Amino acid sequence: MTTQSLIDRQSIIVLSLLAATAVLVPVLNTVAPPGSALHLSDYLVPLLGKYLCFALLALSVDLIWGFCGILSLGHGAFFALGGYAMGMYLMRQIGSRGVYADPILPDFMVFLNWRELPWFWHGFDWFPIAALMVIAAPGLLAFIFGWFAFRSRVTGVYLSIITQAMTFALMLAFFRNDMGFGGNNGLTDFKEILGFPIQSGSTRIVLFVLSTVALAAGYLLCKWIVNSKLGKVLVAVRDAESRTRFLGYRVEIYKLAVFTLSAMIAGVAGALYVPQVGIINPSEFAPANSIEVVIWVAVGGRGTLAGAILGALVVNAGKTWFTGALPEFWLFALGGLFVFVTLLMPRGILGGGTDLWAKVRRSRTRHAPGGLPYAAE
Amino acid sequence: MSEPITPTLLYLDNVTVSFDGFRALNALSLAIDHAEMRAIIGPNGAGKTTMMDVITGKTRPNQGTALFEGVHDLTVLDEAAIAELGIGRKFQTPTVFDMHNVEDNLLLALKGERGPFAALFSRRTTRERERIEALLERVRLSAHRYRKAGELSHGQKQWLEIGMLLAQEPKLLLVDEPAAGMTDQETADTADLLRDIAKTRAVVVVEHDMTFVRDLGVKVTCLHEGSVLAEGSLDAVSANERVIEVYLGR
Amino acid sequence: MIILRHLLAAFAVLIGMASSAFAGVYEDALPKFAADSYAETDAAISAVAGSGHPLSLKVVEAVRDGRLLVSSGQIIIREPSGNLISAVTGQAFGPTPSGLKPVRINNRVRRAIEAALGSLTLLSSDPAARLQAARAVFRSRDETALPNLETAITQETDANVKGALQIARAAVLLGASGTSTADRLKAVEALQARGDQDALALLSTLPVGVQPEVADAAGKAVESIRSRLAFWNALQNVWYGISLGSVLLLAAIGLAITFGTMGVINMAHGEMVMLGAYTTFVVQEAIRTYAPELFGISLFLSLPLAFVVAGAVGILIERTVIRFLYGRPLETLLATWGLSLILQQTVRTIFGPTNREVGTPAWMSGALEIGGLSLTYNRIAIVIFAFAAFATLLLVMRYTSLGLYMRAVTQNRRMAGSMGIRTNRIDALAFGLGSGVAGIAGVALSQIDNVSPNLGQSYIIDSFMVVVFGGVGNLWGTLVGAMTLGIANKFLEPYAGAVLGKIVLLVAIILFIQRRPRGLFALRGRAVEA
Repeated sequence: MTTQSLIDRQSIIVLSLLAATAVLVPVLNTVAPPGSALHLSDYLVPLLGKYLCFALLALSVDLIWGFCGILSLGHGAFFALGGYAMGMYLMRQIGSRGVYADPILPDFMVFLNWRELPWFWHGFDWFPIAALMVIAAPGLLAFIFGWFAFRSRVTGVYLSIITQAMTFALMLAFFRNDMGFGGNNGLTDFKEILGFPIQSGSTRIVLFVLSTVALAAGYLLCKWIVNSKLGKVLVAVRDAESRTRFLGYRVEIYKLAVFTLSAMIAGVAGALYVPQVGIINPSEFAPANSIEVVIWVAVGGRGTLAGAILGALVVNAGKTWFTGALPEFWLFALGGLFVFVTLLMPRGILGGGTDLWAKVRRSRTRHAPGGLPYAAE
Repeated sequence: MSEPITPTLLYLDNVTVSFDGFRALNALSLAIDHAEMRAIIGPNGAGKTTMMDVITGKTRPNQGTALFEGVHDLTVLDEAAIAELGIGRKFQTPTVFDMHNVEDNLLLALKGERGPFAALFSRRTTRERERIEALLERVRLSAHRYRKAGELSHGQKQWLEIGMLLAQEPKLLLVDEPAAGMTDQETADTADLLRDIAKTRAVVVVEHDMTFVRDLGVKVTCLHEGSVLAEGSLDAVSANERVIEVYLGR
Repeated sequence: MIILRHLLAAFAVLIGMASSAFAGVYEDALPKFAADSYAETDAAISAVAGSGHPLSLKVVEAVRDGRLLVSSGQIIIREPSGNLISAVTGQAFGPTPSGLKPVRINNRVRRAIEAALGSLTLLSSDPAARLQAARAVFRSRDETALPNLETAITQETDANVKGALQIARAAVLLGASGTSTADRLKAVEALQARGDQDALALLSTLPVGVQPEVADAAGKAVESIRSRLAFWNALQNVWYGISLGSVLLLAAIGLAITFGTMGVINMAHGEMVMLGAYTTFVVQEAIRTYAPELFGISLFLSLPLAFVVAGAVGILIERTVIRFLYGRPLETLLATWGLSLILQQTVRTIFGPTNREVGTPAWMSGALEIGGLSLTYNRIAIVIFAFAAFATLLLVMRYTSLGLYMRAVTQNRRMAGSMGIRTNRIDALAFGLGSGVAGIAGVALSQIDNVSPNLGQSYIIDSFMVVVFGGVGNLWGTLVGAMTLGIANKFLEPYAGAVLGKIVLLVAIILFIQRRPRGLFALRGRAVEA
């Protein structure tokens, strides 16, 4: 890759598809008359929005796994933290419309006989603070965790296992009522966001469009990083960590930087997810969720960015279909997917496609007289 | 910077490394001068790789002194800091970035800022382009500049790795078995290249191939059981009774 | 007033003892039952109990069971058979009188009944009943029981019962108002020797106006009992810790083989445990249907079967999936996670999503009491079993050719291969061994955990923590890791609660791994470096 341009063919395809989605979905939902074949029913808008949030989450995992070789089995934790930050804002917006009509305390706190708001809930009624925490909370956790892990050179499966233990520990913690995050039930019954009713069709469309924008921005950010020299160092770390170290790069700092950034992206995904599904609870921290994200990336094609998006959309669409049509078979299908992809399709849909394309092209150039075989790569 | 304790470039004194009681290095002492080339020989387990690990900061010695340029204490610095001081290392099995092309391999190795933010905003300068050009020329990979390093032959990878070392502009190169797996011609070319490099900087070569060592024509140190058994010209060392006994064979 | 009355009653009993035919106390007490007043009933019970009258036990029992009836001043006992007898004479009562009303009781009366029964059964011929009675008196501290106690102590032959009687006497004496200083001090001494929670409670709530020397002695005794209890409490915690550690050990030793020595990350390891537990369930179902008399040995029958089932599934997994992924640990992790989902769903489809009932053989229920410790038999069995499994595995690894080959393949695959070891087969067998051990762990865990399709998932993170904490590639490390984590967990629980304790431990392990990435007993040196 000699050009460092952000706008290569893949970017153009991804961005124009996202732009088309951002326009078409609202149009089909609002303009097309209900009952017509083109009409997109109301429940599909937040569902598709949810997929886009998952795609952003997958993107964040691809950034560290695909390009830096860090297999995080705890990225669901960062997603959930972003979600909780948003959920806390939404809880505060309920105000006195809750069941217990307390102007300050959310219902679950009244239920637990709490007298005042815990210190960490302060400021969440103000959107800018909440928005900051959406990024800062997962970022800080990732920074602290990564600072310990990467500095002591925990790598490979060990790292994967302790990331899993991290999200597991957080899940147990958030299940506790006295943590102050609603325990088992989490945060729900939201009323409005920034003054707009959260259930209304137009709010949902705005949230959907915001999700596409966030995904596009996340994609461009990741693309910028992987195309820069920083991205080349990340790949170098992935492929030959000690070589990179002996060249004078502080591998741990690179890992820490990209791990933290990735956690922040995951946090944003979680924050957009919560208002669209209307709830956040501790099961989002479940280790199984995080590992499922990894398989989205693997299906689409690890280390391709666009593949992560594709994989998240394909697998989640499949999940929706299965849980509707053949609920008992979804886990068989998902389990089989894990085995199939790792065994037979290690480069995923996009990687496999690229390989095939390269093979075709190479066989063509071989016949072309005077062609420079590798110059175009 | 304080006054150098020793005038030599690399100074190891009484360095001991033990793994669970096994002494990989046993009070090893060694000094390398500026722009000196030294060949290290010795049987397997003599401590050659461990010595390189100590110099490059991968392994911390249990005791002993390791100084670079007489002032930098190598026993407290990490790999990256030592690399930035100007010590480059080539591994026994060629280790290059397989998924990057040859040019990017060299680009990553070029001396320069090593921080992530610098990397994120860096643009390739004309000077860098020229350096890469010259390096490609020197390690004879100009024709393969856009090929992925993983596609190169074994010998080409060895040369690419040496090129990457040069790109770091180190003062000291540690080269572990550069001739392993090479054809005779490639071995001779590698010896030429190393001799050429040694004109401007210090080179330490670990090698088993005695013909190659003879080609280099430099001072030889023979290690055995973690300490220096003999040191001197190749002829002198290979005449040493103990060296013959433990390493060369009768 | 009540105390005075009790004393009178006690006096009466003493007289009664001396001249066994002194009548009147019993007969005088009976009409009080008709007064329909709790206080009167209470007094009547004490008096009856102290009267030494042959019918007194029957009367008190009748009050307890609501079978003591009153009808226009007559006191009538309805025997459990339904016959009515006169409480005065013990003779059968004629026609059923109208307006029969049972004597009512409340909690205070219930306590009096308990005390009275205790004192009445002190002289029973059954040693178990006497022990029971002594304990009842100890709890009630009823002064009226004192005469009966004294008599019982002089007659008692069973050392165990005698001890209990003496403690009961000490408890009564300590609380009674008229006791001399010397007697009280003796009582304090006796209670200190007993040294349990009850004695502690007694000693720390002395009656008002007690002599200062007694208060002093009691204070010291409380100190001594507290420290003794703390010691037993610590021991009990250690035992709980060992017990939890054994569970962790069972879950982790199979993993120590597949992950520790083969380097294969098997996320479906927990499902092997689950398969073992379900095998136990199936075996027990079969036994219930075809040979109920074998139920006592159902676990022993399950062990080899669970080993074979889980081992076979393990070998199947190794042959069909894992062998294509050697050297790619992250991919192995993902693929085996997928397999774990499939196994869970398979079991869910066959056996349903709810918990299945796995029975506990009779010999595993109950508890062993040692000093202040209470060790339940099923936990003891699991601890013994865990250590036995560990020892067996250690021997297999050290002394069998399979163990030798496994270690050879682990250390240098190519060399082992060129020496004629069929590395493929060793891989499969080693994986089968690790999975089989997980299967037999499932048999043990079926005794203490819910047998559901999710059984395995709850163990997988813990097992990995144990193996990683102990140091990969070292079975002893796994043992130490399991025990350390088990005991640490149980010592944290009282301070932090179960969930928070677990979180604290997880965080601690995460930090520990980051300080020592290769665990407690790490292999060091060149062999480690890849």
